[in-house]
Amino acid sequence: MPWNYIISRLSMFLITIFIASSIVFFLPRISGQNPLEEKLLEEAARGGFLEDTDAMVAAFDEKYGFNKPLWQQYVKFMTGIIQFDLGRSIFNWPKTVNQLLAETIWWTIALGLLTLFFAFIVGTLMGAILEWKRNKKFLMVLMSPILTLSAVPFYLFGLVLLLAFSFVWSLFPLFGGYSRGVAGWPDWSNWSFIGNVLWHATLPALSVVLVSLGGWAMGMRGMMVTTKGEDYMLQAEAKGLPDRTMFFRYGIRNAMLPQMTGLALQLGLIVSGLVLVEVVFSYPGVGGLLVQAIPRSDHAVIQGIVFVLALGTALATLILDLIYPLIDARIKYTEG
Amino acid sequence: MQTPTAITELPQSAGRYEAVGIYRERIIPLLRYLRRNPLLIGGLGLLLGLFLCVVGGYLFYKQDDLLGEPQGVDGLTRALSVPARERPSWNPFDDYPLGTDEQGRDILAVMIVGTPLTLRIGLIAAAIGVGIGMILAFLAAYMGGWIDAVIRVIVDSLIPIPGLLILVLIATSLNPGKGLSVDQMAFVISILAWPGPARAIRSQVLVMRERGYVEMARMSGTSTIGIVFKEMMPNLSPYVLASFVASVAGAILASVGLEALGLGPLDSPTLGMTIYWNIYTSSLLKGLWWWLIPPIVIIIILFVGLFLMSAGLDEVANPRLRRRV
Repeated sequence: MPWNYIISRLSMFLITIFIASSIVFFLPRISGQNPLEEKLLEEAARGGFLEDTDAMVAAFDEKYGFNKPLWQQYVKFMTGIIQFDLGRSIFNWPKTVNQLLAETIWWTIALGLLTLFFAFIVGTLMGAILEWKRNKKFLMVLMSPILTLSAVPFYLFGLVLLLAFSFVWSLFPLFGGYSRGVAGWPDWSNWSFIGNVLWHATLPALSVVLVSLGGWAMGMRGMMVTTKGEDYMLQAEAKGLPDRTMFFRYGIRNAMLPQMTGLALQLGLIVSGLVLVEVVFSYPGVGGLLVQAIPRSDHAVIQGIVFVLALGTALATLILDLIYPLIDARIKYTEG
Repeated sequence: MQTPTAITELPQSAGRYEAVGIYRERIIPLLRYLRRNPLLIGGLGLLLGLFLCVVGGYLFYKQDDLLGEPQGVDGLTRALSVPARERPSWNPFDDYPLGTDEQGRDILAVMIVGTPLTLRIGLIAAAIGVGIGMILAFLAAYMGGWIDAVIRVIVDSLIPIPGLLILVLIATSLNPGKGLSVDQMAFVISILAWPGPARAIRSQVLVMRERGYVEMARMSGTSTIGIVFKEMMPNLSPYVLASFVASVAGAILASVGLEALGLGPLDSPTLGMTIYWNIYTSSLLKGLWWWLIPPIVIIIILFVGLFLMSAGLDEVANPRLRRRV
């Protein structure tokens, strides 16, 4: 692979990260409010005896450099980003944002990867079969509710599932990532704990998978239409190849490429797509962390989450750009 | 310059002729076409049904109880949706067709007031987004050069960013702890509502600019502005409408998302806020299922209706799609 292609992609990645972290730095500072001062004033208004809020705010600003000019804060923030130091949470003091993210992000990533790959495989196959066997009526009947579902956001469908399966039929838990109050949990070497985690993950996963099936199926169906009309399909038919070979080796393989692009782009978005699902199911992932940080104006945590999610998207795009020429030989490295 | 008499005489007769002509030439084929586009009909039907329910609610729901209270028609129903007005957490029964919530709101009244509020956010944000997007699209397509390049780079880099999170940052910094008003929400969402329409419309303008009738108009001396408004706009309208409908759905999606995270208007009973209060007070754990079902059903009807409509409009805009189905 030519070096200048890799270098140009890498520099695009770095520029994106630079822009994203600048947005993350400047946006919360538009209003010019001091979250700590707000917090202390709020506490004082509630009747706590905070005597000298101004001095406390000043001490805090001094310690973390919030009283310095904006450009100095910006330089400090960017140096922190380079060292992947996202600062400390105000509310969960003295935990760092990195620690908080490390506690939560694996829940989100595991749930996201599982649902994404499952929906991708099932949806793509469904779309391909839908076009391959056009005369089968029952497939169309099956597809219309799935397509309609794709218009509904994940978390709303999650609420519907929650109402039906947890509230009415009590088959699944109403909230959480695992049952609380059991001694010794979380314990990842214990099979009953893992079973419990899977039991809790079923409904959140189902809500994502069922909603996203339709999109994958429609994309694949559209590509299959074009692929079926290609000359090599006619030739394969003329050669008398079995239907199965034509479907998998000639049809799916050639129609897959745009689906792969979609998959890579979705990979970068898994965490942000799940935020609201986690809120609905009180899942212990990043979404739960974010929804706790928002009402407490815990800016460092909110900024950290947004930055990590932007990083994920940029990283997925970079990896896609780097491996795409390996999948599709027609693409030239120098383009773009 | 024409004489004034000529101006006053001509449009009257022309107007009458045009009214009949438009009916024959435009409306009848339109109705005939609509019959062949079940997606558009389905979407319009769903949204129209919802609209009629809201209007009916405003006109008839419990208006007698409120006659003594000094408020307008809007104020009357709105008064019913205020917290702590009714008994909290009552099952649906005669007095309250959909029950009341934990904070003592009549849920049917909340739905009647909240549905138009949620739509309002979607419509304002989408109107701003499509408006800005269209201006940028024409600028980019007509100016070309570095203007086009700058607009394209900004649009391309904004589209893949997870928009909800940027909105979270903006909303938290604008008004921490108090929440935004309904219109402020709409403006915040419109900040990220223009790149999609800008990209879609730009590519259409580029294609359309090379068409024969535009060339024709240019050669017969029509000004650029005349070409844009008289020749291209009518032909662009299905695309603009399709991207407007998609933007409304996107804006409502973003607003409900922000509200569910607790960044919405705390004092307005929008659909998203109703969902937020449900999550916030763990209503299902307390068994208040009647509080959660209505907003979900209405939002799903909204999304499915808008989705069907935009799919139907796509078919109007790209006639080639018709053959495929």
